[in-house]
Amino acid sequence: MPEEMSLSVNGQSRVPPGFRFHPTEEELLHYYLRKKVAFEKIDLDVIRDVDLNKLEPWDIQEKCKIGSTPQNDWYFFSHKDKKYPTGTRTNRATAAGFWKATGRDKIIYSNFKRIGMRKTLVFYKGRAPHGQKSDWIMHEYRLDDHQTSSSSSSSSDPNGSNSMGEAAQEEGWVVCRVFKKKNHHKAIDSPKSTAIITDSKAQMFNPNNDGALDQILQYMGRSCKQENENSMNGINIHTFTRANTNNNQHNNLRLLRPTEIAINNGLYERFMQLPALESPTLTSLPNDRSQDCGSQACYPPLDDAQVLSDAGLRGSAVHLNPVYHSEPGLSDWTALDRLVASHLNCQTTETCKHLACFNEPSMAFSSPAPPPPDDQDLPLPQLRSSNSSTFNRSYQNTHDYNSEIDLWSFTRSSSSSSDPLCHVSNTSL
Amino acid sequence: MGDDSIKLPPGFRFSPTDEELIVHFLYRKASVLPCHPDVIPDLDLYPYDPWELNGKALQGGNQWYFFSRRTPNRVSANGYWKSVGVDEPIVSNDGKKVGMKKYLVFYIGETSAGIKTNWIMQEYRLSDCGSSSSRSSKRRGTTKLDSSKWVLCRVYERNNSDDDDNDDDGTELSCLDEVFLSLDDLDEISLPN
Repeated sequence: MPEEMSLSVNGQSRVPPGFRFHPTEEELLHYYLRKKVAFEKIDLDVIRDVDLNKLEPWDIQEKCKIGSTPQNDWYFFSHKDKKYPTGTRTNRATAAGFWKATGRDKIIYSNFKRIGMRKTLVFYKGRAPHGQKSDWIMHEYRLDDHQTSSSSSSSSDPNGSNSMGEAAQEEGWVVCRVFKKKNHHKAIDSPKSTAIITDSKAQMFNPNNDGALDQILQYMGRSCKQENENSMNGINIHTFTRANTNNNQHNNLRLLRPTEIAINNGLYERFMQLPALESPTLTSLPNDRSQDCGSQACYPPLDDAQVLSDAGLRGSAVHLNPVYHSEPGLSDWTALDRLVASHLNCQTTETCKHLACFNEPSMAFSSPAPPPPDDQDLPLPQLRSSNSSTFNRSYQNTHDYNSEIDLWSFTRSSSSSSDPLCHVSNTSL
Repeated sequence: MGDDSIKLPPGFRFSPTDEELIVHFLYRKASVLPCHPDVIPDLDLYPYDPWELNGKALQGGNQWYFFSRRTPNRVSANGYWKSVGVDEPIVSNDGKKVGMKKYLVFYIGETSAGIKTNWIMQEYRLSDCGSSSSRSSKRRGTTKLDSSKWVLCRVYERNNSDDDDNDDDGTELSCLDEVFLSLDDLDEISLPN
């Protein structure tokens, strides 16, 4: 067991530049949560315990930061307690608001074996039922019941089979990931964002819509490509109509309102990748932001006849109102779920690949000893020896620190001109 | 000395920002500064096909990183890279332009007659003139910054079969989550949980 280490020493991150904590769901469940549940020590204390009821989402980033690298997502362990002694619901209220579950739980697989579940929650400011939806999203991962009991039974009660049943779902340790929903572009450092921003590249990088939504579309007997084109038409036409709104109060403009709002909010950019779905996506997009636009209220019920009479212009508008269409397939959530599940299953193979390079759970982070030459576990090469001698020497002349820790600290400040390396390069040249 | 190898716990991966690639890695490479951690290998102009990079270049997620010399014609054993689109400026946190990013697509076959693949390269280079202005102090007067020589390449295969998440790190809502999330607004259509 390596001795206890922490991710930051004297406020300096020990995570080298370029590295981020981006665990796969499998790593979160299989490595971190399993250790937590089994009371095993977790290296580096990467994931902290948090009392969810006492922490607002905007405070999480400070509490759960890893080193000092910029983060888009934060991780913590939370112990779920029942809200009421008699019930099974969980209390996820904070002082300023509450976390509310959305959608359906997703099954997490590892090597085609079910290992746990993921619940998606949204933070609402205020008190139910009048909370105001925020952009804070939480993925709450729990181990499957039998997983929990089997892994803990080794250390505790060997007869502790799944006696707790359903209640176990709502109690015990979970590992959570919190992030802010991106409404506009993806984060600038995301490799894909640039592709989306630049028009010329948008085409090239647009993932073909073979995903879950595509399956849904097919399920509803509709070609995804056609949908896509339709929606593009809608946008173009619409942009055009908007330009003329001043002189020409187009009666039917309101029909396009959802798209309009989506565009105004830059939301459509995000959904460029998606087929225009004859499902609540588009309709509800504006609702997402309706607090800002206030247009939700004036979004009128459509009747099909009206829409169809405008068919030429409004091929896409028809698709914007699934709510008023009674699409039989839409209400069949069970079938939808099956599709989703079948799709989500494939993703797990992806995650196993990442694990390969971490097959040794114990780790020697910044270990003083050089690694054995055959060590394959993501060893970072040593400094070029010629340089590093100068490098260390000159640094230790000015600062009397333990060198190992501080190697990180000044590589971190690479761009500043007070960077000790500037000095080093000077002396070495 | 010699204590610079690290092993990070599971979940850490090489996932640099554009700025880090330029400022931390490429800038140091070009300035012959020691780069720590020195993780990105220098593949110079070896004619590797993109699928051969595994094990040769640094892997982070499904992407491979390596240094290379800058070249107008990037040709490999079985094909060539062709640039697409417009180069993008890389702007640092404090608003300075630190470099440029070029997109290339890999084609299999003879030049100008190849078949397009899903392999993408992002080629990072330092700004042509801006790189020396702000950062290098007078003390570095003697340091000749050979910004034109080196580029940093990030190569990945665009995956058609995935949905919108290339490597599912979960920091994006899936399309379905978005749908569900939006449904919450529609007068609380309650899904059995």
